[in-house]
Amino acid sequence: MPGLDGTAVIALSVLTSISILLLTSLGLAVIFGLMRIVNMAHGEFLMIGAFTTTVLVRSAGLPVWLAVLGAPLTCALLGAAVEVLFIRPLYGRRLVETLLATFGLSLILYQAAIDIFGQSSPGIGAPGGFVEIGRYTVSTYSLFLPAAAAAIVALLYLVFKRTRYGLLARAAAQNPDMAAALGVPVRRVNLLTFVLGCALAGLGGGLISPIVAVSPGVGQSYVGQAFMTVVTGGPAFLLGTLCSSVLLGGVANVVSQMFTNLWGLSALLVVAILLVRLLPHGLSGGWTRGL
Amino acid sequence: MPKAAQMLRQLAGCGLAWAPVLAAAALLAAPSLSTATLLKSTLWLSFGIVALSLALVWGVAGIFSFGQNAFFGIGGYVFAVTAINVFPATGETLTAMALGACAAAAFAAILGYVTFYGRVGDVYLAIVTLSVTLILYTVMSSTAGPEYHIGQAQLGGFNGMPSVPGIALGSGELGNRQTFAFAVCLAAALYMLLRFLASGRYGRILAGLRENELRMELLGYDVRLHKLAAFVIGGTVAGLGGALFAAWGTFINPAVFSLPQAALVAIWVMVGGRTSLAGAFVGVVVVQWICDQADKVVAQQTPLILGVMLVATVLAFPSGIVPSLSRLPARWRKATPAGNDVHVARPAGAPGAAARGRLVAQHLGKRFGGSVVLEDVSLSFGEAGIDAVIGPNGAGKSTLFGLLTGRHAATQGRIELNGADITRLPAFRRARAGLGIKLQVPGIFLGLTVRENIALARLAPRAHGGAGDASAVLAATSLSGKQDLPASALSHGEQQWLEIAMIVAQNPSVMLLDEPAAGMTRDERNRTVELIRTLSTQRTIVVVEHDMDFIRALGAPVAMLHRGVVFRRGAFAALSSDPEVRDVYLGRRRHAGN
Repeated sequence: MPGLDGTAVIALSVLTSISILLLTSLGLAVIFGLMRIVNMAHGEFLMIGAFTTTVLVRSAGLPVWLAVLGAPLTCALLGAAVEVLFIRPLYGRRLVETLLATFGLSLILYQAAIDIFGQSSPGIGAPGGFVEIGRYTVSTYSLFLPAAAAAIVALLYLVFKRTRYGLLARAAAQNPDMAAALGVPVRRVNLLTFVLGCALAGLGGGLISPIVAVSPGVGQSYVGQAFMTVVTGGPAFLLGTLCSSVLLGGVANVVSQMFTNLWGLSALLVVAILLVRLLPHGLSGGWTRGL
Repeated sequence: MPKAAQMLRQLAGCGLAWAPVLAAAALLAAPSLSTATLLKSTLWLSFGIVALSLALVWGVAGIFSFGQNAFFGIGGYVFAVTAINVFPATGETLTAMALGACAAAAFAAILGYVTFYGRVGDVYLAIVTLSVTLILYTVMSSTAGPEYHIGQAQLGGFNGMPSVPGIALGSGELGNRQTFAFAVCLAAALYMLLRFLASGRYGRILAGLRENELRMELLGYDVRLHKLAAFVIGGTVAGLGGALFAAWGTFINPAVFSLPQAALVAIWVMVGGRTSLAGAFVGVVVVQWICDQADKVVAQQTPLILGVMLVATVLAFPSGIVPSLSRLPARWRKATPAGNDVHVARPAGAPGAAARGRLVAQHLGKRFGGSVVLEDVSLSFGEAGIDAVIGPNGAGKSTLFGLLTGRHAATQGRIELNGADITRLPAFRRARAGLGIKLQVPGIFLGLTVRENIALARLAPRAHGGAGDASAVLAATSLSGKQDLPASALSHGEQQWLEIAMIVAQNPSVMLLDEPAAGMTRDERNRTVELIRTLSTQRTIVVVEHDMDFIRALGAPVAMLHRGVVFRRGAFAALSSDPEVRDVYLGRRRHAGN
């Protein structure tokens, strides 16, 4: 029977899982929700974010807090190049084609990372040390992650609700022809949205880099869950993804704690598939408005 | 003998003749091939089989799936587990192969059921199948511990399962040469089976799904079921490929579920050409050869090379090798019999056997969120032959039409077709019960010929009565002489007529036409009026229009909707002289309330 402190530690662990799922899904959710593009290279953007942080810490000697901010910058620059070279020529073609093109890109980036960094690389420790909760000690970083995730969601909500770009992006998402007719620079808005999604993926990768084994394949181990989270989240790409992260991340973590990680992951898959059947339009499918 | 000759010619027409020839040539060549060549060819055949499954699911049925290598892997794993347990006792692994195929089929059935019956979009299917594959990868990679075993078979985690028995027919494992021969026969048999499926009646249904899913549904086809069937067939084929793969290498590991492997299947099919089943094998040979050659120059860079190939194919060469090649003898291929059954014997019973039907809406209402769009609408169609529904923009015409066709679910009220309650039926069941539906946007199969379009409508399942006779419609319009043209080559008006002809071929008792004259020239519109009048002698026709000249020319009784309720009913002349009706159309405030 876990005491109050034990319950708190379990709850914290659930919260951390949810934050990781959310942080690794948001970039995908923004691009898919606003551009209807499935960015298959999402996992590689996570990986690049994680490597950027690791390299900045280990080679440049930056503190982790600063190095994490380098990740979205790198990914934003790369994302801009990708949008111009690979995505833009395919606007108007079928969805599957952008999906396959970004898939090709994902393979290229993956192999490039192997060529540069090798199959595995030394990690960086989680900063901040530990705090004690009753009889247990937990890492400070696992307290920080949920706070960071919440802050990012809140910031994104404000961006899409309050800024000019946010309004234009939502308009372009709902009716690109109408938006263009009204003078929305759809191309520039799409570029910005894609860059924002890539930067978010990079930030997610950077934030999780202290607590995972960073390798060229790190993105691939998260991208499957991220896809499922976005699909079950539904059309409200921000709050829907938040809800599905809470549900899927919560289920996966609780089952993992009761059995093993393997069962946790399987549970995530089963719940996601059941959700797709029961709520084909996602958790936010019935919402009349929202992000 | 002429019958046999004819059959042979038909086989040749479906492209079935040269597969056995190639297979026989491969078998004859087998004794003189080196062991390395035999091994590589067997591997490529197992790849070709999984590529074949994607060509069916994607190229023929239009469903893009990343699941094919999941089914391949499941087939391989189940084969391995079963073979390790059963082979020592029985000395054969065909049972294991069958089980592998069944497991893959079952998995495809579950995934397909969830996605098609959930009616999630195409992209979602791609994402769901890919996520499932990746999660399988992670799951199978974490089965390293000794506790993960099924019978004698250790799953082995990331390192996979070694010592899988090869193909064995009952008297020990086959050698490399016999395994190659087995693979050739299996691949040729599967190819011919799928080719046969894709060129027959079922193939036409799949082509219909690919070209226009909504129209298939409105014709009365159960779209979900047919997509599921195609997906399960694809899964079974991929599972067989996976079993062959595991038997070939006597080994399987989670890499079959990896992202590069998922990409590989798509690349084979893209490069070979997704619309061609044979392209699957061509794609495997070309892509694998390039990979092998590149590996000699820069070792261990396969993902990079695959990525470049994928991006290059999508951006520069999207149709693939085989379809580009076969465009050359396209003229010769046109001579093959393709759906000559449009004008064959009429169905038993008099032509146009359908009686006039009766469509009744009782107290129909619809709310979207908080706003009431339609309220207490009661209308009955069937006494007059033709009925017209009009109303200004926002009156609720489209919503009423959506409720009648099954696109929207009514929040209250009841819809009856010939006395039967159809309020809750999905669109395809309404179609089967005798409701013919024409939407505003031409709902035809642009990639198919006029003849094939009509054949699909004639083949559609229906609750009673034979197919209708569309030839009168074709004769009354300019379509009779254009039966072998693709529908995409028709003018906008002709496409509308073709859709009407398809609905007649479906033999409904009630036809619902949404703006049938939209975008027509004056001459086309007059012919459409004549056509609808002729058809109305045998069927009940309901026209929703806002073209007042068209309604006037039809001379039918009119129901006018305004603000979600029936505002007026009566003859067109009476309505057009009604000052309140005029005010509504002119947007004057005075009478616009109720």
